[in-house]
Amino acid sequence: MKLKAAKKNQAVIPTASMADIAMLLIIFFLVTFQIEVDKSKVALPKTGIQVEIPKKSAYVSITEPGYIRVSSGEEISVQVPSADEVFSFASGLVARAPDKAFVLKADRNVPYRIVDEVIDALKRANVRNVFLLSDEEPRAAGG
Amino acid sequence: MKIKRETKVTDEIPTASMADVSFLLIVFFMITSTFAATRGLDFSLPEQEDNPPVVEKEESVLIEIQPGGQLLVDGTPMPLDGVLEYLRPKLERNPLKPVIIRPDPASEYGYMVDVFDELRLGAEKGVEVKNISIPTQREIQAFWF
Repeated sequence: MKLKAAKKNQAVIPTASMADIAMLLIIFFLVTFQIEVDKSKVALPKTGIQVEIPKKSAYVSITEPGYIRVSSGEEISVQVPSADEVFSFASGLVARAPDKAFVLKADRNVPYRIVDEVIDALKRANVRNVFLLSDEEPRAAGG
Repeated sequence: MKIKRETKVTDEIPTASMADVSFLLIVFFMITSTFAATRGLDFSLPEQEDNPPVVEKEESVLIEIQPGGQLLVDGTPMPLDGVLEYLRPKLERNPLKPVIIRPDPASEYGYMVDVFDELRLGAEKGVEVKNISIPTQREIQAFWF
């Protein structure tokens, strides 16, 4: 009787689905990818109320020493010398898009005087929608 | 003479490098994307009016924020978590009672946000503050009584 030689099983890692998984991950990153227009480091205030900020909102950031930076939401922010510049910047944007949303990204330790000047400039420029960028405050259990 | 049979070339799209290319793209996105904060507190600004409505001092509640973060509510020192309880009876009588937040220019911005957030959270605690106003220094100088 002729004995059949045992078949040798080769150890193979199945990689056929790797490209599919990679593509899914790419699609995820493409959908969630957002260019951070303002990279200034600020310690944001914490709030219990948190609403989603519309995409492509204009940014006005105030860092702790009081430096003000502005961005239309489509390009990287640039520093401006004073709040008066915020007025001319915001007026130009509002003239093109009256409902343009503005995000105020200010350090919680910055003197209110500077924030007041910026808010006043936005008011004078007829800006309606302003969002105060904040971190989420953990709520106490049970309310 | 023996004629060699022509080898048949099969039609195939080479996909061997697709996983490498995909992973390179993933690495790129992972490095360049940041976990930026995209949430905050909505803060609608009123329309500019030539003749803004005059609010009598007695009709409103004034919350002053001092440089150290201490609050003076209608001139009385008060902790932040006591503000809503102070407002509750006043808002029950007049739900549209204006509440004015007036931070000292030397106080820190974070304290203003804390007070504003506390008033907004009042809706969840049964004390809805519908009329919150934060006048700027220019408005205070122009219209303050």
